[in-house]
Amino acid sequence: MKELTRVFNGEVTAVDNISFTVEEGEIFGFLGPNGAGKTTTLNMLATILRPTNGTASVNGFDIHEDPDSVRRSIGFVFQDPTLDIELTGRENLDFHGRLYGLSKKEREERIAEILEVVQLTDRADAYVKTYSGGMKRRLEIARGLLHYPKVLFLDEPTLGLDPQTRRAIWDYIQKLNQEHNVTIILTTHYTEEADHLCDRIQIIDFGKIVALDTPDNLKATLEGDIVGLTFKETAEAQKMLPILNEIDWVNSAIPVSGENSQAGMSSMIQMMRSMGGGGGEMMPAMGGGGGGGHPSMPKDPEKITEAMKMMAEHGGLMRSFRNIHLLVDDASKRLPEIIKRVDKVGIELASVTMNKPSLDDVFLSVTGRRIRDEQGSMMSMFRRFRTMRQARGGRTPR
Amino acid sequence: MEPISGQAIYVVLLRELKRFWRAKPRLIASIAQSFFFLLILGFGIGGLFGGALGGSYLTYIAPGIIAMSLLFASVFSGVSVIFDRQFGFFKEMLVAPVSRTSIISGKIFGGALTASIQGFLILVISTLLGAYVIDFRFALGVFGAVGIMLLITAGFVGLGVAIGSALTDFHAFQLITTFVMWPLFMLSGVFFPIETAPLPLQIVMLGDPLFYGVELLRFCLVGTITPILGPFGLFIALGVIVGFTLAMIAVGTVLFARAEA
Repeated sequence: MKELTRVFNGEVTAVDNISFTVEEGEIFGFLGPNGAGKTTTLNMLATILRPTNGTASVNGFDIHEDPDSVRRSIGFVFQDPTLDIELTGRENLDFHGRLYGLSKKEREERIAEILEVVQLTDRADAYVKTYSGGMKRRLEIARGLLHYPKVLFLDEPTLGLDPQTRRAIWDYIQKLNQEHNVTIILTTHYTEEADHLCDRIQIIDFGKIVALDTPDNLKATLEGDIVGLTFKETAEAQKMLPILNEIDWVNSAIPVSGENSQAGMSSMIQMMRSMGGGGGEMMPAMGGGGGGGHPSMPKDPEKITEAMKMMAEHGGLMRSFRNIHLLVDDASKRLPEIIKRVDKVGIELASVTMNKPSLDDVFLSVTGRRIRDEQGSMMSMFRRFRTMRQARGGRTPR
Repeated sequence: MEPISGQAIYVVLLRELKRFWRAKPRLIASIAQSFFFLLILGFGIGGLFGGALGGSYLTYIAPGIIAMSLLFASVFSGVSVIFDRQFGFFKEMLVAPVSRTSIISGKIFGGALTASIQGFLILVISTLLGAYVIDFRFALGVFGAVGIMLLITAGFVGLGVAIGSALTDFHAFQLITTFVMWPLFMLSGVFFPIETAPLPLQIVMLGDPLFYGVELLRFCLVGTITPILGPFGLFIALGVIVGFTLAMIAVGTVLFARAEA
């Protein structure tokens, strides 16, 4: 597989005019919340759903012109179970092998081989209805590989599995990728899964690509580490805030009311974002590929002051907070300096935390909400409303 | 589009056979149901009719009970595409590089074969109960009956596939049983000869494809056919069944090809 490009306006809201290329031999991840359009995209690539507009090529074959060659090149492990539970594991594999036109000899050899790989040899002749969830998942993955696909689609491969099984499946996916040079395209809404497995991650939300890069680069877009300072008194924190903001290597210092650092980041980023977008577009447009164009925390002190003012007015956060979050480059080196500065003012710190930004933070920063934030923020509600309106507008004639 | 593949047809058929053979409780229930009809209705109501039908009542209803077994088994087999979709196996077939026509052909062959096996078992049971006069004509008739069984069931599997592809909700299953299967069965002339029914009912019965199937089976096994179809009744019935079967296979294939995963 050399290139895979697609441009389409599918299903009005499900997948909206996205384009990307996956390199041969890559593990490529789609990260996004439920309903973001990941599965729809995969289904279109696998020729199960027809795109409303646009096209794609998989392994060099066009999905419109040569869907059968596409199907021959791919393996697909669906999100929902698609095994015949009334058949045995071996029979499920045999059925698959026949559908893909493998000879009897090929089927026998490969089934034995693949069962060994997923460690189901001893249960191969039991009915699938007696399998555990993890065993079924392994069998599905085995089946997806039986015909030696060039590209393997994995839709939420570890959804609902226990940590050990998840770990085993991750190892297996990596092994496949490395030893058999299978290009893997997977979807997930687990940030840690995307981080652990993928060479490159595409963050998708509301049917649009909002970021595309390696996990490390994505995390680097947050430009620094998060240092959380907790003070004993609100007054002390209030006193320190402007001082910390003066320091030129502090990218930003933000007051946080809650104990939870994530909640703090969340409110901070959302505030920044709601101020930042003057032109109607809330999210900065993300260029695919390169490091440029990623959103980062605004460094402009005026904006930060403005943000704090807004937070004070709307959130009431300024009235009582004991935490300050600093976004700092190379926090491990700067930490002693930070503590020294606080000490110099004569204030004693209650505690200090230091975190690398996780993919969760990245997701938060590019979409304005957390990945498992089911209720959604005001902003995501607003965006959903806007998308709905667009969708309705799109469907109505005239 | 991918050409029709023999191996794909075969594998779908093989799956139908395996599932049929393994679902023994279902098979037993279905055979027992037909057995009760034969035994209780055949001998129970038989006394009421006496010799009015020119033979025993058991002889009259036996071909119809075979048809009932064929009808239920084949329509359910076709409708099972709903379950394949519900339980996801449908997707496994759709993403494979085989045409949907191959899949549906395998489904129809498999469904027709398994339903006909059930029908044949009822044929054996009714023979043991003494429903037929065993002679040379009967021996020949059995071969004809098997052919008719395969023909009828292929059509009804097609009907089932069409229904199963059009419906997405498998809770509608009960509705299919009540509003499709039972009327088809009751109107097929299993329990009473069409000549004795009032005219409006006769007209409705003539619209029931299974009616012609029952008449054909009765001709093969008992040697009689209703006079209402005229002197060429046998050919009319055969023509209707062939036409119905081809039409249902076509409709089922088209609807199945359109169904989304």
